Amino acid sequence: MRGRPGSAFWLLQHELRMFWFNNGRRSKRRNWLAPVLVTLWLALHGLAVFLLRKMPDVPPSVLQFVAMAATVLLVVLATFMFSSGLKGSVDSLFERGDVDLLLSSPLPSRSIFTVRLGAVTLGVALVYLALVAPIVNAGLFIGHPEWLALYAVILAWATIWCSLGMLLTLLLVRVLGARKTRVVAQVISAIAGALLFLLAQAQNLAPNGGPEAFQGMVADYVTPGSILAPDSAVWWAGRAVTGSSAHVLGLVCVAIALFLFTVHFTHGFFVRGLQQAVSTVRARSKPGAAAQGRFGRSLVQVVLRKEWRLIARDPHLLSQVLLQLLYLLPLGFMVLRSEEHAAPGVAAGLTMLAASLATSLTWIIVAAEDAPDLLQASPAAMRVVRRAKVAAAVIPILLLVAVPLAWAVAHDAVTGLLMCLTVVAATLCAALTGLWQGRPAARSSFQRRAKGNWVAFVVDLVGTVSWAATGFVLIRAASPGQNAYDARWAGISLALALLTLLLAWSTRRRAG
Amino acid sequence: MSASVALLLQDVSKHFGRPAVAHLDLTIRRGELYALLGPNGAGKTTTLRMVAGLLAPDGGRIEVMGVDLAKDPASAKQVIAYLPDDPMLYDKLKPMEYLEFVAGLWGVSAREAAPRAAELLDWLDLSKHGHELTEGFSRGMKQKLALAGALIHAPQLLILDEPLTGLDAAAARQVKDLLLHHVEAGGTVILTTHILEVAERMAQRIGIIQHGRLIAEGTLDELRARTDGGTLEEVFLQLTSPA
Repeated sequence: MRGRPGSAFWLLQHELRMFWFNNGRRSKRRNWLAPVLVTLWLALHGLAVFLLRKMPDVPPSVLQFVAMAATVLLVVLATFMFSSGLKGSVDSLFERGDVDLLLSSPLPSRSIFTVRLGAVTLGVALVYLALVAPIVNAGLFIGHPEWLALYAVILAWATIWCSLGMLLTLLLVRVLGARKTRVVAQVISAIAGALLFLLAQAQNLAPNGGPEAFQGMVADYVTPGSILAPDSAVWWAGRAVTGSSAHVLGLVCVAIALFLFTVHFTHGFFVRGLQQAVSTVRARSKPGAAAQGRFGRSLVQVVLRKEWRLIARDPHLLSQVLLQLLYLLPLGFMVLRSEEHAAPGVAAGLTMLAASLATSLTWIIVAAEDAPDLLQASPAAMRVVRRAKVAAAVIPILLLVAVPLAWAVAHDAVTGLLMCLTVVAATLCAALTGLWQGRPAARSSFQRRAKGNWVAFVVDLVGTVSWAATGFVLIRAASPGQNAYDARWAGISLALALLTLLLAWSTRRRAG
Repeated sequence: MSASVALLLQDVSKHFGRPAVAHLDLTIRRGELYALLGPNGAGKTTTLRMVAGLLAPDGGRIEVMGVDLAKDPASAKQVIAYLPDDPMLYDKLKPMEYLEFVAGLWGVSAREAAPRAAELLDWLDLSKHGHELTEGFSRGMKQKLALAGALIHAPQLLILDEPLTGLDAAAARQVKDLLLHHVEAGGTVILTTHILEVAERMAQRIGIIQHGRLIAEGTLDELRARTDGGTLEEVFLQLTSPA
């Protein structure tokens, strides 16, 4: 069925087609993937029916605890949905190239906005709908048609969080302007996505007592009469998951109301926001100090300055790279608290983080070179340029990890030095892998850099994990009371890391 | 190779599945402004990219100022500047920083580069935009900055691919003046353009390339003599239209 050209339904079809092109469609070589995934998905239905038939029915007395667990799960989903919704909204405002075309068409802006928000919501909900489908559909076979309500709950939940994401995007545009919104939304989106990790670390970071004290604190809050008591309204959304019609209806009503609110009150702002987004991207930057030329520097200095300037002046890209540092926070606390038993884990974490940052920076500096023709047309020795680029990627990372490493060395020289060894080696190997395997790309495709370059991705991943494992096992082996077992594993992981580097070198792209 | 020859192409070929440039012979003299014309897909850009050292020819020989490009690319590139039709600048650099980087690539000393950069930015009317990042520049401003970058090391051979595309009248005039000044100062320019009036007015010699082969070459009068005469546009259309 095709919508009348120019109608909202027709536009929705266009959006879904674009969603398919951008996310679903793969190259012809991977045509086999879709049927395999569908077959697996159908097989999961069979498995779900089999398992659910063996499970006893949930007694009504347990339902309130199921609702509590479901609410926690929904909160977890909310962080992902909000993160995706925010990203989708920013994409709609900043990344799509069809904005001018749509706004200059006679389509009502309300339709454009409705369809955009609807498409973002559907795109976000689709993954979760597909994930729960085997269980919900299996429910039909085993006599639980009420489980179908889960579809409505997920759609409603996605609508709520995507609408909030869109509203926050518009608010940010109003307060910060379009240019900064892109960066701030990126950061919020990543923090929302990383929230789970940080929350999971909360019990490790809890002062005075650690995990046990943390669990005790949580238990106090779920006692009857307290704010998180099983009959509290806090678990309202979870009760919808358990099939309570009133709660499902309530949730759907909230979602529809929020969607309509977003559409009704903000479509005008959306148009203004879009125009601002488009015009700001094209606008000239604010006047700053006129640059004074510093000529006559060496080639290496010139390349280093240029690369660091480009990165430092691209807050959007910089935020994407530095967000990885969020994961450093718990590690940093552990180092500062000098937890001896945590040293191997800290070493592995720091090693992975440094290598991951090196991979990102090397991709930006080497693969995403903006003017490769300029470099190639110049008489500058490409060997020197490439080395300078690797240095430009590695130096900031080493400066960044220098503080925790220095702290670790000061606290325990052997452990600290071993940590330094694996961190530096992993950073260099990641940078070299990026240098040898990187394919030319635009900076804007940073988040999609792994796509289409699976060899580099796998080599990089295996190398990073191997170095992290080496750091972990080496430090364990160096601890008092450890036997040669750990040293053997250290040798194996080190060999794997070096083999990976050799593979990266032997399959390197030839410089043009 | 004669000392008066700036660029020599002998039997140069390049294939991309089909021949893009086929056994091309071309000689450009020092101090000459040479316009290489041709229909879309004729092989103009491929030729220029080979001369700039960005593409290796499948066959033949290229000499720049007497230096074999294949044998000593660094020396040849030292005296070349190449400006593609869509020059890629660094969005997050300011004009002077861009020139600083390009000067560094060519190893130009501070004593030479600093005054030259200031002079070029002044000449191209970009000094007043010195505090801006190039991401906010218009197409014409970007083209002018790229040209300034191409001239920062005072190249002997300037290779320009469609240098006037997207420029407004004032900017086009500035660029044309700069090119003529470069030639008057003894430099050599080879450019491609679809704006035939530019070639007609500026070029001392014109080469017409089609299907990767040079089908006609000479001054405008010489080309006219080979056809029914008229404007360069009429000459061009007669020479390139299918028989």
